[in-house]
Amino acid sequence: MRRRLLVLVILAATPAAGVAQSPLQTLEGMWSNPPRTIAGTSCAFYCTDVLLDRLNELIDDPANDSKPLSALSSDASARQRVYIEGLLTPAAKETYPLDPADDPGLLRCEPWGLVRQMFAPHQLEIRARGRDQIELHYGEWDAKRIVHMDGRPRPAGPATRLGYSVGRWDGATLVVETSGVSANQAGWNAKHSEQVKVTERFTRGADGKTLNLVATIEDPWSLRAPLVAKKIWSWSPTSQIGAYDACEPPAAVKKGAGR
Amino acid sequence: MNARLTLSIVLMLAVVAQRARAHHSFSAVYDDKRSVTVTGVVTQFRFVNPHALMSLDVTDDSGTVVTWVVEFAGRLNLSEIGWTANSIKSGEKLTVTGNPTHAPGPRLAFQKIVKADGSELLPAAAQRNQTLEDERRERAKRRAPQG
Repeated sequence: MRRRLLVLVILAATPAAGVAQSPLQTLEGMWSNPPRTIAGTSCAFYCTDVLLDRLNELIDDPANDSKPLSALSSDASARQRVYIEGLLTPAAKETYPLDPADDPGLLRCEPWGLVRQMFAPHQLEIRARGRDQIELHYGEWDAKRIVHMDGRPRPAGPATRLGYSVGRWDGATLVVETSGVSANQAGWNAKHSEQVKVTERFTRGADGKTLNLVATIEDPWSLRAPLVAKKIWSWSPTSQIGAYDACEPPAAVKKGAGR
Repeated sequence: MNARLTLSIVLMLAVVAQRARAHHSFSAVYDDKRSVTVTGVVTQFRFVNPHALMSLDVTDDSGTVVTWVVEFAGRLNLSEIGWTANSIKSGEKLTVTGNPTHAPGPRLAFQKIVKADGSELLPAAAQRNQTLEDERRERAKRRAPQG
């Protein structure tokens, strides 16, 4: 009886796996717009190493010193577009690039699906919710995601806009795996399917002032190989997420103008 | 300001303005190749998300008052450069430059505001671009001598 009681005491004193044992405090708090650096601005939505490598190559070439930075950025963005287009399957290419004039977010103020939302600009607030959940709260669309840290797999059920996220710690890195995301459009103007699986790795920068995301997107329907994209936020403890209640669809849009 | 610098700023403003209007495509609604300037009296400024909005009564040559709507970046981007809900007040006379919509109509995407006292309000992009160009110049300085 005494041994059983001892076991119970030990179990009660042991934190649940996940948040209570985690280095969450290194990530918890308010993050916002990217640092005012070339890399930060280039990754304001998302970027790939293809873009960053090309941009660095152009900036470091003295022959480009007289060219505006915007021209170099456009060149690097074009290189990235070619790279991403090369990853798309024939099925995804049938509708690529999607016309921004058809964007449901524009036409109907319809919030984004996960594959756009996770690269949304502005704030990302990371907070513990109880012992085994972490909330990711985005300024854009006032969207909230729950990361389940208790190790349980995704329960059966229909796919949703932001999917079901399961998290774990890899050292000081929060690894979030999300599936069960309904078919939608990605930030690179292509459709994705319900088969999409996203692995996000959130790490605080060495200087403590930045939050870095490396996301791997896999979707056999739309991508021939995983796409790895990055994003950077700045530590912004005084920033507040305001109401997102004044979205108004435009009176008119021009097809083809934003492609 | 020489022509190349002007072009550089205009191009960069276009790139970053697109990013600032994050929740949808700017170019599906506004014509980024044209600018329009109007002068009028503010009747409302809404410091809201996803985009701040201003109503401006503009009187044309025939005396007809037309209400123009000016769309800005979101509250967060404007806050970043010190804007508040009181940065623009009802009753103020302003001269506004912006990109018009593709479809004809009294609506602009904000590029510049000149107040009655001559002071200017500019997008956050203008300040950010200067920082980026400074970083680039620093990198050029640190570059190893060629040859």
